[in-house]
Amino acid sequence: MTYDEYLDGKPVVVTAALTGGIQGKEAHPDLPETPDEIAAAAAAVEAAGAAVVHLHARRDNGERAFSTERFQAVTDAVRDATDDVIVQHSTGGTAAPDALRAEPLRTDPAPEMASLDMGPMNRGRRLTSENTRDTIDGLHAEMRERGIKPELEVFNNGHLNESFRILDDLADPPYLNLIFGPGTLAPPSPANLQRMVDQLPERAEFNVIGFGPHQLPLTTQSLLLGGHVRVGLEDNSYLRKGELATNEALVERTVRIAEELGRPVASPAEARDLLGVESRR
Amino acid sequence: MACPHLDYRDSDGERQFDTARAFCTVTEEFVQPVHADICTERYGLDPEADCEVYRAEAGLDWDE
Repeated sequence: MTYDEYLDGKPVVVTAALTGGIQGKEAHPDLPETPDEIAAAAAAVEAAGAAVVHLHARRDNGERAFSTERFQAVTDAVRDATDDVIVQHSTGGTAAPDALRAEPLRTDPAPEMASLDMGPMNRGRRLTSENTRDTIDGLHAEMRERGIKPELEVFNNGHLNESFRILDDLADPPYLNLIFGPGTLAPPSPANLQRMVDQLPERAEFNVIGFGPHQLPLTTQSLLLGGHVRVGLEDNSYLRKGELATNEALVERTVRIAEELGRPVASPAEARDLLGVESRR
Repeated sequence: MACPHLDYRDSDGERQFDTARAFCTVTEEFVQPVHADICTERYGLDPEADCEVYRAEAGLDWDE
């Protein structure tokens, strides 16, 4: 989690966020939504070097779905199509009731990892993802019961405080995902990323997300700071200005940059060791 | 119930989809999945209270 770790050639875990829960094919014609489409994207990013796939589920018409049944269809298809990639389910869900938010944790087998939103995030004029401490603690308890590694979603600097609140309840290493973008998210800048990394506990591992045009520069900075990287169409639709991306192309570019910088790309098995993830393969 | 401006279409004249998707007849655009929960009144969401497009079309200010 330091520049020294970069110099030592610490492996980098690449996560691919394939779908998300915000936009659909109205925004990107090739955004994977169905289980088969998500599975094909998962196989492609695994071949390109991703160790983790971050999954959301959708209805047949592309609208958001949170049910265990829908997540089961996605996770089954992904596990069938991939060799060893780590399966991470989202528990995020703007405006969705808490009861639904836990459903993605209840697939069989359980996901190896799951996202845990650490506080509120606004969207538009009236939509908000509340993520009260009660919600966080409930989801976290269920993850612990099921042996699921939580990835703490840090939408802004205040969510570092919220993460520190549960630090003693986390198995080593705590894994924090620092998210930079518009609105409630942390303002995207290299200085802001450095400041947040400086505040992390010694035993933590961190990952970086940059929304849209901030994906490439801030994930590259994470490589230099000994951190890990998430890319994919959930966070960014474009490879470069005016050119729509694919999940595979975004992972390929990250792998190329990491290798040029001297960070070997972690295999799924290496990622499990680095992050303390229990295998369900 | 659902927003009166909500329609489900498999094409907007330019794009074609296998399954009909939420389409807003005010903006003449397909709706983001996260916004479709407002259009369909899921999770206690309500177009009259929560949708910028509905409220603008109805001439409602946010403080009303």
